[in-house]
Amino acid sequence: MMPAMQTSHTHSNDSETVERGEPSFVRLTSALVGLLIVTFALALLTGPMSITIGDVVTGISRTLQGLGVDGSADWVVQELRLPRAILAALVGAGLAVAGAVTQGVFRNPLADPGLIGVASGAALAAVAVIVLSASVLSGWKALTGPFALPIAAFFGGLLVTLVIYRLGTIGGKTQVAILLLAGVAINVLAGAATGVLTYLADDQQLRDMTFWSMGSLAHGRWPEITALCVFILPPLIFMLRSARVLNALLMGEQVAMHLGFNVQSSKRWLLIGAALIVGSSVAVTGMIGFIGLVVPHLLRLVVGADHRQLLPLSALAGASLLLVADTLARTVIAPADLPVGLVMALIGGPVFLTLLLQQTKRWQ
Amino acid sequence: MLRANNLVVRAGRKTLLHPTSIALKAGECVAILGPNGAGKSTLLSCLSGERGSEVGRVFLDDVALDEWRGSERAQRIAVMPQSVVLAFPMTVWQVVALGRSPLGDETQTRHWQKEAMQKTGVWALRDRLYPSLSGGEQQRVQLARVLVQIWEVLTHSVNDSAPRYLLLDECTSALDPAHQHAIMGVVRDFAQQGVGVCAVLHDISLAASWADRVVIMKDGAISAQGSSNILRDASALETAYDLPTPLARAYAEQNKVW
Repeated sequence: MMPAMQTSHTHSNDSETVERGEPSFVRLTSALVGLLIVTFALALLTGPMSITIGDVVTGISRTLQGLGVDGSADWVVQELRLPRAILAALVGAGLAVAGAVTQGVFRNPLADPGLIGVASGAALAAVAVIVLSASVLSGWKALTGPFALPIAAFFGGLLVTLVIYRLGTIGGKTQVAILLLAGVAINVLAGAATGVLTYLADDQQLRDMTFWSMGSLAHGRWPEITALCVFILPPLIFMLRSARVLNALLMGEQVAMHLGFNVQSSKRWLLIGAALIVGSSVAVTGMIGFIGLVVPHLLRLVVGADHRQLLPLSALAGASLLLVADTLARTVIAPADLPVGLVMALIGGPVFLTLLLQQTKRWQ
Repeated sequence: MLRANNLVVRAGRKTLLHPTSIALKAGECVAILGPNGAGKSTLLSCLSGERGSEVGRVFLDDVALDEWRGSERAQRIAVMPQSVVLAFPMTVWQVVALGRSPLGDETQTRHWQKEAMQKTGVWALRDRLYPSLSGGEQQRVQLARVLVQIWEVLTHSVNDSAPRYLLLDECTSALDPAHQHAIMGVVRDFAQQGVGVCAVLHDISLAASWADRVVIMKDGAISAQGSSNILRDASALETAYDLPTPLARAYAEQNKVW
């Protein structure tokens, strides 16, 4: 019945490790949890003012109990470093997972929200609100109150996502070249529009805006963190639960449909979730690029493309990476604060180039 | 039974499918043949629920296919497209395990996945990355995936005896003759366990050797159907494929051997 097939292959290497792959996932998860704890602790301990582990423990427990600030060391922990570290972990995890999800939906490892213009669309919307909220957009500010920036950034990001999706998808297939070129075009357009707004801005608005384009965690305080939790955590959980449909989507929308998934609605909600995460992150921290590109890429090299492993690991690694980058940004030219977006670009640029080189090699 | 009534599909001004009806019974092997652009794949995509019809509907167990829940439909109908391209590093085993995603029991059914890979001859490739395989190997991996999707038929469970259907779109196009026949033999084994198989084929002699029933399509409609004997009839082949008479005769002679 089956001539050459069974005889030649079976029993060749029948080591029967049925739960193959699982232990390495567990090991990697615990390693990354450990890394996150270490980087988080480092972020709290490093800085211009020397803080001891004792100060950190007291600070955290006072924060948890809702007790007020007690002394200058306690103030540094409770009001500066702790919120900033939490912000870094939250944004890092969100951006990494949003990147992995966008790449899965577009079926392309280069589809980073930053590269395809989603982040700059969100930044443009946020800048527009900063500059124009006194004039043209006064109604918007009245309508949305304290959430004016994150909501505007979300819609900016979502709009770009939809435009990119329409442009880059022809006959159900994603055209990478068009996707990336459309991203370049949108980045240029958003940059130009932001430039126009710069001319309209007054001094205070200008200072507010500079950090948008470079990305910084310096503006994170407890109210912003609360708002970000609302915008980042629900989509993050939704994405982690969507790992199966993302796996199926890697083989094409047709196959995912045949496997019983509601492809159109999954895709739509995943992209809306990514726009929410990117948009609200941009609203608080400005543009921090490359996390969504670097983290999933490196993890795919280690664990492969299975989203059930890739997504949770991306969240952990993204949080650690942004914590490290921000600690560097705070200390390298201390007491001045280097925008963390620049640090990430320095790390991410070379990785992106390597990724491109690998792709061209595969095409040859 | 998987049954389609008077399907009509149009794309722009072109009619891809004129009113077409077809029924697939449990345990039956049906081959759909015909020249390029005859509407074979369109018909198959209607049967799988992927494509809607303007008039007419597809019924699974007398319930319209679009009224089925996606995951329940996927437990009954497995579809293998002609080729599946993957841009990300997934291993062969991971791809095969995806066949269980309608039920989400990938870890509990690993022995089924192993058997399916052995049946299609890709067990030795289980840790290889899918994008690095040849076209023929990829097709065999995909076949293992769709077999795993409907593996319940082999377990003869008492409380789940609903018939399964397997729709194959040129699933052997990249295989060598030995593998072609071996693969179609595996599919036939599943038909003997009660799976209704509908395969779009290009290879006339493979169809002659394999099918219980042959459906020949031309210009978006069924032009002839019957037992595989019609493939041994030179004049039928001549009209179906617009073949020159000597070639049609040669094919018919060859098919008589099967």
